Amino acid sequence: MKNQFTVNGGEDRQPQIIQSITAVFLTAFVLLFALAFILMEKQEFSEGENRYLEKFPEFTFEDLKEGKYTEKLQSYLSDHFPLRDMFMGLKAETEIALGKREIGGVYIAKDGYLIEDYAAPENTDKIVGQFEKFEESVNSAEVSLMLVPTAVTVYEEKLPALAPVRSQLETRDEIYGRLDFSTIDCYDALMEAKKENELYYRTDHHWTGYGAYAAYTAYCEAKKITPLPLSRFEITEVSTDFKGTVYSKLNDAKIKSDTITVFENPENRLTVYYEDKKETTDSLYNFEYLDKKDKYSMFLNNIHPFIEITNETADSDKELAVIKDSYANCMVPFLVNHYRKVYVFDTRYYKGGPSGFINENGQITDVLLLYNMNTLDGDLGIGGIY
Amino acid sequence: MVFSSIPFLFFFLPACLILYYLVPYKVKNYVLLAFSLIFYAWGEPVYIVLMLFASAVDYTNGLLMERFGTSAGRRKLFLCASVVINLSMLGFFKYADFLVETVNVLLRLSVKPLGLGLPVGISFFTFQTMSYSVDLYRKNVKVEKNYFTYLTYVSMFPQLIAGPIVRFATVNEELHKRHIGWNDFVQGTLRFMQGLFKKVLIANNVGALWETIKGAQAVSVSVENVSVATAWLGALCFTLQLYFDFSAYSDMAIGMGQMLGCHYPENFRYPLSSVSVTDFWRRWHISLSTWFRDYVYIPLGGNRAGTVRHLRNMFVVWFLTGLWHGAAWNFVLWGLYYGVLLTLEKYVWGEKLAKLPGWICHLYAVVIVVFGFVIFVFDDMGQLGAYLALMFGVSGNGLLGSELFWYIKNYAPLLIAAVLLSFPLYPFLKRKAESLPRWGKTALSLIGAAGYAALFVLTTAYLVNDTYNPFLYFRF
Repeated sequence: MKNQFTVNGGEDRQPQIIQSITAVFLTAFVLLFALAFILMEKQEFSEGENRYLEKFPEFTFEDLKEGKYTEKLQSYLSDHFPLRDMFMGLKAETEIALGKREIGGVYIAKDGYLIEDYAAPENTDKIVGQFEKFEESVNSAEVSLMLVPTAVTVYEEKLPALAPVRSQLETRDEIYGRLDFSTIDCYDALMEAKKENELYYRTDHHWTGYGAYAAYTAYCEAKKITPLPLSRFEITEVSTDFKGTVYSKLNDAKIKSDTITVFENPENRLTVYYEDKKETTDSLYNFEYLDKKDKYSMFLNNIHPFIEITNETADSDKELAVIKDSYANCMVPFLVNHYRKVYVFDTRYYKGGPSGFINENGQITDVLLLYNMNTLDGDLGIGGIY
Repeated sequence: MVFSSIPFLFFFLPACLILYYLVPYKVKNYVLLAFSLIFYAWGEPVYIVLMLFASAVDYTNGLLMERFGTSAGRRKLFLCASVVINLSMLGFFKYADFLVETVNVLLRLSVKPLGLGLPVGISFFTFQTMSYSVDLYRKNVKVEKNYFTYLTYVSMFPQLIAGPIVRFATVNEELHKRHIGWNDFVQGTLRFMQGLFKKVLIANNVGALWETIKGAQAVSVSVENVSVATAWLGALCFTLQLYFDFSAYSDMAIGMGQMLGCHYPENFRYPLSSVSVTDFWRRWHISLSTWFRDYVYIPLGGNRAGTVRHLRNMFVVWFLTGLWHGAAWNFVLWGLYYGVLLTLEKYVWGEKLAKLPGWICHLYAVVIVVFGFVIFVFDDMGQLGAYLALMFGVSGNGLLGSELFWYIKNYAPLLIAAVLLSFPLYPFLKRKAESLPRWGKTALSLIGAAGYAALFVLTTAYLVNDTYNPFLYFRF
């Protein structure tokens, strides 16, 4: 390594000077970033990544002994590294430029779509068991299940060529086949509707209101309800700069934002009661979330163990219990048109299982279990169903 | 602490170097020692006691050997004490459970394993301290009278946890008197950076592809077929990962040593460009193979005591070389695999091989090495069998599959770069550059400088991202 370009007795010193400058530059870079780190104000929350950043770890001897202290310190340092967002984007952009079309379980798909991969299901038996036990424990209400395929299935043609994807439909059909109560297919409706509208966000793992509407029509068909046509709703684009959870995985500023559209039936007279907060409103949306990063949370005001929705103008006196993940949050606005009351359970937080409540309230006629295929396998709420 | 991490790169190393350069010459070793102990304690806050113990033993033993070792027999006694203590320590912490499990299987017992965690770097520092005792016994090196100097040698962070295995004899002089010059700082910085780029940009990324392929064969879902070609691509990826990772650690160690004014020997010389197995072992982890050569193989008589003794010596050395890499039978198998191949090259086809065209020799060596690392990577014989079945198409998988093209599409630039850099391309270009005119050399160095800057920014981006960044030598 010494004297790389020494020629003719070392008269030509230019390359050596350039090497010295290189070493000085690299050293300065390191020192500058170390200094910037020390001086910089530390953020608590990362908007780009949508998560709380590691705090400076509290020292305990126990943690040090187990190596946890140094681990936390390491996370703290990389979480608060200067220009972190820029560096994250740089990595993603470099990889995309070099031809990579799958980064950390996210496919860089056509038309600006970022589509999450479907991981191998591992808990199918447990999930089937939970659904079965729940259905058996419900006395009189009619239980049905809808499992929603995600963008990786519905927009399969947008995936990069040769992408090795597992079939969500195979898993869904296995679960459906093993259950002996009503199961609803929304795949066909989604495949039909995708010709007209964008059914999934390009940067988020959720579906759009249009996707939820398509599934709602499939639900209505199964339940012999006449669905309201889209024309009966006031359709408003409430945000055009939504960058969702899949965006956060890459954190590449070059990725284009999504539009959030909400659907409101002006004839509805709604009372929405959030039991955990003891709050009552008249809207299924919380527009305050539009100022934040996690804009999808505007649907049904993000996470609540139990919500009771009353619609005075519903077209029947039936009552519905929805046991669900966050996919349902933008489908409920359609369902409220047909049920005087809709009870919404998030079983990750609702303790004791919803069947007790359903049986005590004999007026509940229908129960809908609604989950998306991508998070179903790892969904903590499955454990709380029964 | 690992070198390729934000705490090390942006805080530990600069702090250490600044202090090291600022303090008076006499204090430099103490600064180095203090930082080395922090470095080790960062990941092993408890087992640091072991390292202190091991160095205290050999240091004291050395003093005693000097004081009381008036005859060869007495000297041998002290040598034995050192070897026994070091090997017991290594045996207890690294091999106890392996022994328990093997005995359990053989005698159908169910003795409970101890479940001890392996102290990081134990295989490296015990070998270093033993080399001191042996060299002292052989009078190849002078006794070290200052415990802190000796501890500085053992604990020196650039080479503490992943080699190279630097012998006391190699650094003895520089431990006491070294020149810390500007040129060493420049060249050391650049060498360190080369290692860092190799580890973060190449090793980690080909490693990720290997993990994907390995994962795909472990999950039996219909889309995840692993064709024969993909299985071989996976094996190649692991080979590249291990080479770029391991040699990167050596590059970084050598570079940091140079910044501190210490000169370590080269540990890898483009092993994947070998033309025979013999050639490979002259280029791969040189500090380990020469250690076994000088402290085991030659003392046993090497190849100078007849064919039978030679065969025995080969068996012993390669059994131990395998075992050194990890406490599991696959490592022993991997070692013996090389023992057999090296013997065959010596006695059967070595000369014939040398007459074949270079590219055939190279292909021969690479296939053997890649195949060898498949034995190396699976410590579960069932998994090893399953993977070998995929490589030879006996599990009903096809020769080619669409997944192969998917992997190639995603990783082509990386794979091409990794394969090219496995050959001595850089020294070759440097030689070519010498015949360039003056402006050409200047232009080339400018391109080089821009390259360093760009790659360092990109490396930082990968480190900030906290993605796949494994430390592969926990088993060593």
